[in-house]
Amino acid sequence: MSLPPASGTGRYFARAAKSIRLIRHGCTNRPFYHISVTHRRRLNSQPVIEQLGSYDPVPNMYNEKLVALNLERIKFWLGQGAHVSKPAAEVLGLSGFFPIHPHSYMTAWRNRQAEREKLAKEQEAQKAEEAK
Amino acid sequence: MSLLFRKPTIFNAKNVLLRQNDVQILLLTSKNFSAVPTIYDGESDPAPKFFSSNVQVLLKRLTRPDFNKVFRKRTNSGFPVLKTPQYKFLTTEQLEAEVAKSRARADQLLQMPPVVKVQTHIKEVLSRDPALIGFDTAKYMFTDITLGVDNQHRIIMERDTDGVLQSCDPDVRKRLNQIYFPIKGRKIKEPVMFTDPERFNSLLDREQYEFVLDRACIQYEPDEPSYQKITSVAYQHVDSRKNYGLLRSTRHFGPLTFYLTWHLSMEGLLLELLQNNVIREAVLLVALRQEVHGDVANGSAAQGLVAEIMNTPIQLSKPESLTEEDIQLDTKCIDCIEQYISANSSMKSQQELALQGFREFYQQLIDLSRGVRKAHGNA
Repeated sequence: MSLPPASGTGRYFARAAKSIRLIRHGCTNRPFYHISVTHRRRLNSQPVIEQLGSYDPVPNMYNEKLVALNLERIKFWLGQGAHVSKPAAEVLGLSGFFPIHPHSYMTAWRNRQAEREKLAKEQEAQKAEEAK
Repeated sequence: MSLLFRKPTIFNAKNVLLRQNDVQILLLTSKNFSAVPTIYDGESDPAPKFFSSNVQVLLKRLTRPDFNKVFRKRTNSGFPVLKTPQYKFLTTEQLEAEVAKSRARADQLLQMPPVVKVQTHIKEVLSRDPALIGFDTAKYMFTDITLGVDNQHRIIMERDTDGVLQSCDPDVRKRLNQIYFPIKGRKIKEPVMFTDPERFNSLLDREQYEFVLDRACIQYEPDEPSYQKITSVAYQHVDSRKNYGLLRSTRHFGPLTFYLTWHLSMEGLLLELLQNNVIREAVLLVALRQEVHGDVANGSAAQGLVAEIMNTPIQLSKPESLTEEDIQLDTKCIDCIEQYISANSSMKSQQELALQGFREFYQQLIDLSRGVRKAHGNA
């Protein structure tokens, strides 16, 4: 199967609202995302206007998550007034292209909190064992 | 950096290791060969010397391009079916045009891999955001895949787990460039033949220099430390076994000669040239040393001879007959080399012997060609 061109095969309407999204490709239990621009009212399963990058959420053997961004085209579509979905904005925020999304800070804070609680629990369990 | 490998048996590998503790060294040893990989990392940059037109001309001439070897059949990977050769009747002008075309093609095939200083990497930090600590356990690597940007200038950034957004190390950059914009023949992981010293040595012992150097050219960038280490070991191996002929007429001969000259260890090559009776190239080699280091006693004489030598055709085989101009030029060359040997050479006795051998050979040649001319009644 040949891949669709990055320029996309979806029909394009100049005045319709656009959105930059993460669109899930890959297969069962193996997510892989295309960062694409499409009409806001279109489903993710429908053809897109243009692919702008990719995001692989599964860390590779070096513990890295790879993101590719076609910054030139992203700038173009933002200039055309495209909306950006929340996950896409988070990825763009981490890349330093956008300001960091508030949700990223929330996730980081929650993860740190969970870590702290886990540590506290472990310490308690240790103390309890020593007391026995 | 001083290079110390002229006679492999003399050197104790440990001494060399101690002297060069600033460079991480992978010492390659086999039965009768040991070499210390070197990189162009000293204070002086080889690039301006290597790219200067004088040096390029000398290196190209020293390559001694033989079209039979340049255009030999190598692999048929690109051609599923071998083409049958075409035979054509051509006028003289057409033939000249064809020859010029193949000359241009040979120049392209013999383009030398550049010799440059090893790269330096400066880490650039774009932002530090401690509030992002704990966001993820993996790094994020961002690559700008905008079209029309070359690999060197592509924006590649990493967001570390501690919230720092910064530029990547050169090897990571190279890996990501290869993932998104693959270069044909280059592997994402280093091939085992370069990482495993045993296999690498086995290739060198089988004298597969061209394969090693060609693959190193594809796999690495010329300013990478691994490229310079691998090629330096291959060059030292060639030098220790006097296998210069295997690299002649290939694009690697120029960098090999430059490497040997840069590290002042081209005496072996000079000896080989004298033994094979190519005195003119020996003078070119001396002129090259004068261009690179400027430490030859009669350097200006050698440089003066270069222009004359460049006008003569390349000597691929023993000359059939000698004209009086040839004899004059070669006598000047012999004088030049003699002075070089007495003043600068570190391999005096052997080279003097070889020069003496050349003199006798040349005298015979002179007698022969003069005799033939006399017999024809032209003298």
